[in-house]
Amino acid sequence: MSLYWSLIAIGLFTGSIYGLGALGLVLTYKTTGVFNFAYGAVAMFCAYVYWQLHDKSHITAWISLPLLVLVVAPVIGLLFEALFRPLAGLSAEIPIVVTLALLAFFVQAATSIWGGQAQYFQSIIPTSTFRLGSFHVGYDQLGTLIILIISGIGLWWLLRHSRFGTATRAVVDNGDLASMIGVSAPSVRRSAWVVSSIFAALVGVLLSHSQTLTPNNLVLVALAATTPAVLARLTSFPWAFGGALGIGVLFSLLTKVSTTGWVANLISSGPWLLLLLFLIVLGSQLKEAGISVRPMGGGTSAAVASGSEATPRSRAQRAALAGVAAFVLAVLLPTFLNGSDVGNLTDGAIWALIAVTLVVLTGWAGQISLCQFTFVGVGSFAIGHLAGAHGGNFVAATLAGMGIAGALGLVVGAIAVRLKGLYLALATLAVALIFDFAIFETVGISGGITGIFDHRPHIAGVSFVSTTSLYELCVCVLGVVLAVAFLISRGPVGRRLLILRDSPLAASTLGVNLTVTKLVTFALCSVVASLGGALYGVYLQSITPLNFQFQWSLALLLYVVFAGRTRLSAAVLTGALAMVQPFAHNPTVFAYLQLGVAVGVVGLGRVPEGTIALSIQEAKRTLSVMRPRPRRSLDFEVMARRPLEVHSGA
Amino acid sequence: MAPDGTALLSAQGISVRFGGLHALDEVDLDVGAGRITGLIGPNGAGKTTLFNVLSGLLSAVAGTVHLGDKNITGWSPHHRGRAGIARTFQRLELFTGMSVEDNLVAAWESAHPWAILGRGRQERRRRVAQVMELLGLGGIAGRKAGELPTGSGRMVELGRALCTDPHVLMLDEPSSGLDIGETRHFADILRQIVSNGDGGQRLGVLLVEHDMALVMEVCEVITVLDFGRRIACGTPAEIRGDAAVRAAYLGETDVA
Repeated sequence: MSLYWSLIAIGLFTGSIYGLGALGLVLTYKTTGVFNFAYGAVAMFCAYVYWQLHDKSHITAWISLPLLVLVVAPVIGLLFEALFRPLAGLSAEIPIVVTLALLAFFVQAATSIWGGQAQYFQSIIPTSTFRLGSFHVGYDQLGTLIILIISGIGLWWLLRHSRFGTATRAVVDNGDLASMIGVSAPSVRRSAWVVSSIFAALVGVLLSHSQTLTPNNLVLVALAATTPAVLARLTSFPWAFGGALGIGVLFSLLTKVSTTGWVANLISSGPWLLLLLFLIVLGSQLKEAGISVRPMGGGTSAAVASGSEATPRSRAQRAALAGVAAFVLAVLLPTFLNGSDVGNLTDGAIWALIAVTLVVLTGWAGQISLCQFTFVGVGSFAIGHLAGAHGGNFVAATLAGMGIAGALGLVVGAIAVRLKGLYLALATLAVALIFDFAIFETVGISGGITGIFDHRPHIAGVSFVSTTSLYELCVCVLGVVLAVAFLISRGPVGRRLLILRDSPLAASTLGVNLTVTKLVTFALCSVVASLGGALYGVYLQSITPLNFQFQWSLALLLYVVFAGRTRLSAAVLTGALAMVQPFAHNPTVFAYLQLGVAVGVVGLGRVPEGTIALSIQEAKRTLSVMRPRPRRSLDFEVMARRPLEVHSGA
Repeated sequence: MAPDGTALLSAQGISVRFGGLHALDEVDLDVGAGRITGLIGPNGAGKTTLFNVLSGLLSAVAGTVHLGDKNITGWSPHHRGRAGIARTFQRLELFTGMSVEDNLVAAWESAHPWAILGRGRQERRRRVAQVMELLGLGGIAGRKAGELPTGSGRMVELGRALCTDPHVLMLDEPSSGLDIGETRHFADILRQIVSNGDGGQRLGVLLVEHDMALVMEVCEVITVLDFGRRIACGTPAEIRGDAAVRAAYLGETDVA
């Protein structure tokens, strides 16, 4: 019996930390309309700052903790507020992508500053125990619970009984109206960001003594606070508070069922399973707060360019010609490169192939996905298990992987029928993390830490064992997929995807079956991502679950959005970005690339269409400056005619 | 009834509740072929709610909706769209990332999903060109719909609805955002559409509108709602003289 009480105590401790996280998430969402995906990353970053101050610089906790909570965290909060203020009123997708970019930014910043290796530090609360009846309770566990209770009650009091609370409720209800009666909405939002950031710092510090401190590890644990926040419908503090404690206790008790094998994997993915369940069950009751749900501007390559003087047909011809030229160049490139560089090109071609699915899904159909690398993983592991020792069954194994991914895509599509915007992003994130923890970690599927081997393929008697031949195969597949996507973008299917993105309401009344459209789109994109996975597997040859973690889906989304998600050329640029690190032969280059992309994406508020659109705009502006101005004599001719026109008109 | 005596779209005993609020209470409505039916009422009377029930965006707790002789009560919005009910929205719902022409093309393709090759393409071109000419959209065919002023946006929404070749066209406050000249032009177009001037089939129009002058000018039959109940139904002259309407909606002043 005492074991259960101990597990409950541990669960209350973990739940308290989730609770602090959930309160912070709900607070910022209620007041600003921004769901902060970077919350866990801020917690992680603050934990590292505390570790630097306390453990490395040996500054006493009495100074380092107040410094963290009262200076560092508020500064981060203020930076967030300044960053999101100009994004108010823009599409719902922009804050989502920007917070994801900030997540990547903080992870890469921490990796660059402190390295990726595990760190350990002392708890801020003593870890010794005291007896409560027949079982032992840690002072740290009790202390954390007390911090949660004080924070929860404090927040409740602040919002219910203080002037700040009244102002906050007014801003939540109608920010513009609140401003007209003298309430400063920016001040309220700034305060909310600061308080939320302080909570994140506490979460980071409290978590860090029970978890190994690595950038990715802590982000994931802190992200689990999303589950009670969604249970609270991102609005109710008591539900977030109670839900977090309940979830902490539930999963602590479940660890008694099993601590090894697939059952343990399933339990470790529990918060994400629950999140997915909540999202599906709550479904249409979940409303997005304070933000427009209209998608970012833009369209297909045809639609985006529609202000230019060229006709759609000539634009299409130009794009097709450019595509053919790029394809020929890509095929010829290996002639000038060595084997290892050709391998890097293969990597880029496969990333471009996977990126096409995200351009179609997110850029054209307006459906956000944070689980594209899950489908890639399905394709890769299918090859490892089914293609045979000499890759002779590559085609059959690829088709099988595509079939499984297609079925999974239908499931995600069915979720997308019920959810949109932020909640769809959360659901796809949950799917990715469930696969990361429960499926890909299963030794029978992925081979565990050691992974499995994907043999280079033989197709119809042709060997693709050599690096160059595999590269040619990948480029051909990419060429076909790009060509098909290009044709689709110019026809009825492309238009159907665009109207699904721009106004699902109007589309449905025009006769478009939204359910079928979403299901088919998700299924096809999953199938193509799985095809990319099959090629990725045989390119890498030795694959482990690490190759398909959710961070890769996140990086893919950021690259595509950064490049300009509505254009197929964004997929090619994504491939080029993916090649930067292997070509540079330096791991830190990847960190700086991610930082650069994250910073670029954060600027989305100004250029939602991405860098390619920005480059085209700038090029046009430059050309217009360089273009010779009309002859002055013509101006005189016009001026000379004007009085006559007026006269004749009169 | 309609000049030809046919009710294209017929709603009987429609009731909708939002919690304890009766948004619609046993409302009947007929939309006849070849005529414009007006639906008016003060703010909160239930006009847009009825619109949403007719187009399938909202479920009624009681009542039936018939399109011709088909009972379409349980049909989804896209089924109704395919069956020939098209609508516009009080708040513009354009495909903002697409050109004006593509808005119309996409609408035609949505209504004719299997007619996209060969003759289908020719038919699409013909119909889109016809609608653009009717509504005067030729000059802005290549412009992005999201960049248009409200008046042009309303025309694109109307054109998009017409491109589905509907039997019933439902217009939700189409004149809001239009100036006097544009409203007059719009009234002319409406009459032309109903009198089969656009070359399409003889369709019925249901018009929700706050501009009383426009309603009285173009509608042959008007239904008046107040607090979710139908308080009157008749010709414009009858509605002008109806005491219940004057009391509930128009006050004691006469309409223009």
